Amino acid sequence: MAAPRRRSLWSCCGHGWSWATRCCRVPGLCSSRTWGPLGAWPLSQQKRAAETHFGFETVPEEEKGGKVYQVFENVAKKYDVMNDMMSLGIHRVWKDLLIWKMHPLPGTQLLDVAGGTGDIAFRFLNYVQAQHQRKQKRQLRAQQNLSWEEIAKKYQKEEDPLGGSLVMVCDINREMLKVGKQKAMDQGYRAGLSWVLGDAEELPFDDDKFDVYTIAFGIRNVTHIDQALQEAHRVLKPGGQFLCLEFSQVDNPFVSRFYDLYSFQVIPVLGEVIAGDWKSYQYLVESIRKFPNQEEFKEMIEDAGFQKVTYESLTKGIVAIHSGFKF
Amino acid sequence: MLSAVCSRLAWAPRAPRTVWALTRRCLQAPGPRSCAKQSERAEEPPRTFHPSLLEFLVCPLSKKPLRYEASTNELINEELGIAYPIIDGIPNMIPQAARTMHQKKKQEEVEQH
Repeated sequence: MAAPRRRSLWSCCGHGWSWATRCCRVPGLCSSRTWGPLGAWPLSQQKRAAETHFGFETVPEEEKGGKVYQVFENVAKKYDVMNDMMSLGIHRVWKDLLIWKMHPLPGTQLLDVAGGTGDIAFRFLNYVQAQHQRKQKRQLRAQQNLSWEEIAKKYQKEEDPLGGSLVMVCDINREMLKVGKQKAMDQGYRAGLSWVLGDAEELPFDDDKFDVYTIAFGIRNVTHIDQALQEAHRVLKPGGQFLCLEFSQVDNPFVSRFYDLYSFQVIPVLGEVIAGDWKSYQYLVESIRKFPNQEEFKEMIEDAGFQKVTYESLTKGIVAIHSGFKF
Repeated sequence: MLSAVCSRLAWAPRAPRTVWALTRRCLQAPGPRSCAKQSERAEEPPRTFHPSLLEFLVCPLSKKPLRYEASTNELINEELGIAYPIIDGIPNMIPQAARTMHQKKKQEEVEQH
């Protein structure tokens, strides 16, 4: 685990190093091998290693994080409205299916990464509260022979309506968290909900802490997906579940043609009309195409150490829910 | 004919009353909404940090527990000498956002001089 931490410290000083290497490009001063952030590294290999995709563009890795941050900063206020418009409301069903697949019991501790506006967190709290109420009703029905005093005591005891469940919403973008926090206030969610500004590649949580880790429509925006998966593996308790809801590859060629048409012709226009931002929605649509397909992503999750990795394609493969367990 | 005139006369004084009632209703209508807005303003997200979060939060760099400093509203990692700010009740745990304590000490010295 020391390696990723060192890499992150270096990434902070990365700018300084790249500036230094650029400066010493004077003949006679520099040798054939220049010292980059990763130690002695031939310059050409260093250049190739430091680039990644931002939609269909190729950008240096250090820049991707900042660019993604700006995209979500711009769209934060209209994020929910745009989700409804773009997916015609189907995203609600996808998110409900994610929670149903989770089947959380009261007492579950959930970490929702990239969960800015809180959609998954609120659904989790609703589900867990309903389960807890059902459990209490069952208990009361089973104990019909209690005396009046005992029944009165049960009602007087101020029990936690969530049964000890907790959800931690972690996002790298402050604007998205602000929108989510305001939504929580408006919809009356108070207990069992916490908001943290954090990086999915370097989670500010200790090992073996959470029962479930979810990331819904967020992992394709992470610069180093493998690091995010390793962090997910680290913070989960043994027996914990990893769930990822993400856009994936459509298997049906007929649907694929309409999907491509809709993605590239309609969505950026909607983005311009409703949110006033064509480029952000262009990026969003392009980033979906760049994300690995169901099988490749399943292999990435297995590489991070998860077992019993399965996936379920929804809506003809437009989205997929990947699930894995830490043993 | 007389009855029609009478009825018209009877209606006439009522008209300004209905207009007045309508205008009063229009003026009053924003009332509940403004009250709601006021209550929303009062119900703005609390800017306090709940120390119960400290059970879960650790420094993302060293994975060691943090100390909550109420005076500066920061989470401090003594070992590395860095402080993570808390803004609007949300702790900012991004390593790049952390402030080193040495800088803070220098700032204090500069202020003293």
